[in-house]
Amino acid sequence: MQVKGMRRWGTALTVLGLLGLILVYWMSFFWVSTEATQGIVQRIFYVHVPAAWTSFLAFGLCALTSGMYLWLRDERLDRAALAAAEGGMVFATIMLTTGPLWGKIAWGTYWTWEPRLTLTLLLWFIFLGYFMVRGSTEDPGKGKRFAAVVAIVGALEIPFIHLSVIWFRSLHPQPVVVRPDGPTLPGDMFATLMTSLGAFTVLFLGMFLLRYALEGLKSELDARTRRAIA
Amino acid sequence: MSAYLTQVRAILWKDLVIELRTRERVLVMGGFAVLSAVLFDFSIDRALVAPQDIAAGLIWMTIVFGGLLGVGRTFHLEAEDGALRGLLMSPAPRDAVFIAKVLANFTLLYVVSLLVLGVFILFFDLELGGSPAAIALALALGSLGFVALGTLFAAVSSGTRLGETLLPILVFPLLAPMIVYGAGATARLLANRPLAEVAGHLRMLGAFTVVAVFAGAVLFRFVVED
Amino acid sequence: MEAAPPSTAGRGEGGGSEPGRGEGGGSEPGRGERGVSEPVLEATGLVREYGPVVAVDGVDLALGEGEFLTVFGPNGAGKSSLLGMLAGALRPTRGSVRVRGMPLDSGEDGWRHRVGALSHEGFLYLQLTAEENLRFYGRLYGLTDLDERVGARLERVGLAARAGTRVRELSHGMRQRLALARALLHDPDLVLLDEPYTGLDPSAAGVLREVLAELRDGRRTVVMVTHNLGSGLELATRVAIQVEGRFGWIGDALDIDRSGFERFYHEVVEGRAAGSAGARTGAGGPGEGTAERRGRP
Repeated sequence: MQVKGMRRWGTALTVLGLLGLILVYWMSFFWVSTEATQGIVQRIFYVHVPAAWTSFLAFGLCALTSGMYLWLRDERLDRAALAAAEGGMVFATIMLTTGPLWGKIAWGTYWTWEPRLTLTLLLWFIFLGYFMVRGSTEDPGKGKRFAAVVAIVGALEIPFIHLSVIWFRSLHPQPVVVRPDGPTLPGDMFATLMTSLGAFTVLFLGMFLLRYALEGLKSELDARTRRAIA
Repeated sequence: MSAYLTQVRAILWKDLVIELRTRERVLVMGGFAVLSAVLFDFSIDRALVAPQDIAAGLIWMTIVFGGLLGVGRTFHLEAEDGALRGLLMSPAPRDAVFIAKVLANFTLLYVVSLLVLGVFILFFDLELGGSPAAIALALALGSLGFVALGTLFAAVSSGTRLGETLLPILVFPLLAPMIVYGAGATARLLANRPLAEVAGHLRMLGAFTVVAVFAGAVLFRFVVED
Repeated sequence: MEAAPPSTAGRGEGGGSEPGRGEGGGSEPGRGERGVSEPVLEATGLVREYGPVVAVDGVDLALGEGEFLTVFGPNGAGKSSLLGMLAGALRPTRGSVRVRGMPLDSGEDGWRHRVGALSHEGFLYLQLTAEENLRFYGRLYGLTDLDERVGARLERVGLAARAGTRVRELSHGMRQRLALARALLHDPDLVLLDEPYTGLDPSAAGVLREVLAELRDGRRTVVMVTHNLGSGLELATRVAIQVEGRFGWIGDALDIDRSGFERFYHEVVEGRAAGSAGARTGAGGPGEGTAERRGRP
């Protein structure tokens, strides 16, 4: 049955992701070289950035399946959107907690209006709106549609938010940060980052499949309960 | 096409006439605007901060908060006698209903935003600068974008148990571009900077607004279907 | 299973004991005696769920031109939900509705011009005058000769003198009359009325009865949900009793003996509520039990 297959894949990917995560931690702590200006604390980077990337991937998936749900009305699409949103919110939270920690230790302030951080903060609130709207309707079908609309509008406006936040940041005095970003990233750092990115993505996909399967089981249970009562 | 326009005009006329007769929203929003300016003024210690430096931001935030008040009630007047049902059962397409409501709300909010600008100019001792038309344009674009998102999510929130209290949570994250570019442009224009400096702002604001209106028009039908 | 044309006493209730669905009788050839080839309203397998609650549990219906269907039923039977789906205001969870062959869910809106609905909500704007309300709806429906139409409709429901009064100043009875005028403004083929008699004083009820009687002009098709047994039976060509989301019974109004109907109604409602077993065995089932009382019309 479809759900069983999902669960198998989900479990497999989650295990794989966790193994990857262990590898990433090993690499971040023991293998990769220390960054010159910031020291050890810079290693948070290998968790912080992939978390952000994964949360945006999740949101994109959520918005896409939401759009298809409104078009096709297949409940499975809505379940996928929900599963993606949950995963996305988790990773956004990880990003938002590691960021200020890093900031405080590395250059003395918790919050610097760094564009990625700001964007993720707003994304987190879009996720919040998604869940609040889902859960606060009398008719659950309405809640699903409302949530889908929230996700879609969010996705459409994210590019603008992104640009505006970057532009805004350019006005602010920034601490001198040697951002180990882009093509100038030294080889071992690049490798660690990519591994982490892969691990996080795989982990997210595994959790997504498990959550999606769980939601499928839930609605099957609801349907059977209803049939039993009737 | 002309049938569509007739429908939009009919709904727009209805909303504006009702607003004129009850004057609920305009009084609340206008009163809010003036009182906010007063309180903001009180909140500034002129020994530490020059009011002119932060006026633009406060103007835009006042417009946002006041706008929330007005937009949140968009669907109240339809809820009274189930009128929204009647409207939706008519041949008027959903996006026509949305556009009409957006235009009605925009008319209301734009007038209020000009009022806000005027009040702040008065209280904060501002100079209008060399391009008042550009400021008016920025306010227009910002109001329209805000109203588009607000109207869409007002329909959403009025369908939930939480009602209008949900509106800020849904709308605020999306307003970052409006505030950054709108207040940014206004600040520069009030500081008498050349128009060329804010052209980019206005373009981005315009694009943001276009997307908001378009998204709302397309998605509104999914929100109000039953 | 549909009631067959009236012929002998006692027959025709067989359909009533059927707990199954589909008692509206689709577009069967039996409709022929009405002289209708294409039904004005056709509903197939209508189901409406609100989350776990099933309000309408499988209704089929076909009505031709000139038919007047009255639907009785206890509160919570799903009558409003059914009517909502027929009006296109509610999206069916399953099933479909066609008005003059046009499906309601196709995205084409042409059928909206053919349908008029009256609910206990009046769909009126309290801050506008009676006339302004009608003109507004007229413009939404793309009507051209608004002045005459609005004037005529207000006359017909006895509100001509109140044309310039704001709705919030009108009594409930007047608002209902205005709502009726609004529902009929665009001359719909299909008129759907949800408990129109609720809260009406006798004079308003009288106006309503007159206007409804006018609707039986052979051209229009009407579905009315009401608790008012008298008017409901008087105007109907067909009668249905809805219980727990389905038609417990549906048949020609001609078959019905008015004096016995109330008891029959209770039997249907209780028969169904008690479960299908009771109805099928015939003990207390609506069919047999009332056979004797079903005199000739």
